[in-house]
Amino acid sequence: MASKGNCLRYEGCNFFRQRIVLSTLSGRPVKIQGIRVKDESPGIRDFEASFIRLMDKITNGTRIEINETGTSLYYQPGLLSGGTLEHDCNILRSIGYYLESLFCLAPFMKHPLKITLRGVTNDQVDPSVDTLKATAIPLLKRFGIDGEHFELKVLKRGMPPGGGGEVIFSCPVRKLLRPVQLTDPGKIKRIRGVAYSVRVSPQIGNRIVDAARGVLNRFLPDIYIHTDHLKGANSGKSPGFGLSLVAETTEGCFLSAELASNPQGEGSTVLPEDLGRNCAMLLLEEIYRGGCVDSVNQSLVLLLMTLGQQDVSKVLLGPLSPYTIQFLRHLRSYFQIMFKMESKTFEEQKGAEKVLLTCVGAGFSNLSKPVK
Amino acid sequence: LEKTNLPNTLEMPAFADSDDDLEKSEEENSGSEEEDNDEESECEEESSDDEVEENNASTKPNQAKIKERKATPTLDSGNCTDDDGNSSKSDAVGTDSEDEQNADDSGETSEEDNGDEEDLLKEDEEQFEEDLSSDTMGALKWKEDLKKKAAEAFLNQQQSVPNLRKLVYGTVAEVEK
Repeated sequence: MASKGNCLRYEGCNFFRQRIVLSTLSGRPVKIQGIRVKDESPGIRDFEASFIRLMDKITNGTRIEINETGTSLYYQPGLLSGGTLEHDCNILRSIGYYLESLFCLAPFMKHPLKITLRGVTNDQVDPSVDTLKATAIPLLKRFGIDGEHFELKVLKRGMPPGGGGEVIFSCPVRKLLRPVQLTDPGKIKRIRGVAYSVRVSPQIGNRIVDAARGVLNRFLPDIYIHTDHLKGANSGKSPGFGLSLVAETTEGCFLSAELASNPQGEGSTVLPEDLGRNCAMLLLEEIYRGGCVDSVNQSLVLLLMTLGQQDVSKVLLGPLSPYTIQFLRHLRSYFQIMFKMESKTFEEQKGAEKVLLTCVGAGFSNLSKPVK
Repeated sequence: LEKTNLPNTLEMPAFADSDDDLEKSEEENSGSEEEDNDEESECEEESSDDEVEENNASTKPNQAKIKERKATPTLDSGNCTDDDGNSSKSDAVGTDSEDEQNADDSGETSEEDNGDEEDLLKEDEEQFEEDLSSDTMGALKWKEDLKKKAAEAFLNQQQSVPNLRKLVYGTVAEVEK
């Protein structure tokens, strides 16, 4: 762990996970005050409390102090220990909310992490397990995090509001991360996807696939969207369906888009055809934004670059998302790492403006990893 | 603990989310309202005491309006900053405790500014008025082709390459460079 610096203070409930995760990695305590002070129900929400409990499970020696109303939190990180664990995620947010943070922390555990997460696998807010599996896992492999035990498996699907899904994530540990040079996104080679449906007609999956292919087949032939219809105990507690699409480029970059149906009892019913078509449009939008990493994983790639060896890493991204911009600011306050940013426009390639981000790694090494 | 305040101040402008925005605007509004009430009551009680108070009372509502506008998420910062400068100037003049005329003048100018802004907002009405005013003497030149000017300014802003580093990290980045 890095040296115990002075305590960082923040105000408000935003970017809660970022602050806790970066605090855990840098070893600097963090104090977050004024969490939803003016709200009708002040203080941290249940899903944030569940997140803190997860942090407590994967670390050893973490000190957490929360005041009575839950509006103020003091977090002093311990050592990342890992091991075989399980966690019941709150159903207000999907498992993706928790997984995104685990991706940041898992490579730096003492023991390889093998965790079973239960809750909502796909919702409309957070990146779904399917999308993360198709984009974040290959991205982590670029940094030298690899091995036979590196996997993310969906055992059961759970849709909101009931949940009931189950996911296994296991990740090997690494002492150092490789610096990366992701400057050429290449061209779109193939599109893959999953059309899932639980507790609804199995035909819905096919209808989604047909509609999505109707849009995408005009651009390239190599499209395979498989239907995933789970039954019985594996289908969770609530009905629902959705689509997760991933475009792979010739250089091995992944761009993703996804959509899910409205939760039971909320909003109007969504036609599978509309969902498929809209999701395909979203994928085209993501391809327009471009870059070597899609907008879901922008902050993950920046974090891994920051934590790399003391060597230059480069990545070409599409327009930065607001979440990523705040993440860059947080990286500066926690690790004193600032990125060099250059706007790039390509004459022959159409699409949104790209940003080339360059940094020198902080030379972070996993000291808790046992030496063999 | 030196660093602790830095991130906060940097975060606020670009990233104040809905919650924070609400808090901030509420605080500001409530604060200004309270001040207004206080000053009004003071004015009623001791109207002959000093003109400075009156001046403040006349400019305060304008400021409150500007603040409300600032709180809205539109990116039209140019007008707001101009007005802010004007109002602060008038404030400074008022606090110098000069004669009543000066105070009245400043009040008028700020009212005029407000009028102009409203004209900008109601573009269609404004154009109708412009047609009338172009016949009369002293037609305002700057009012011509407002839509075109706005479009050009927008395109210029879109095409200019922004300094991303400055946008993300604030002005500190420039110093370190």
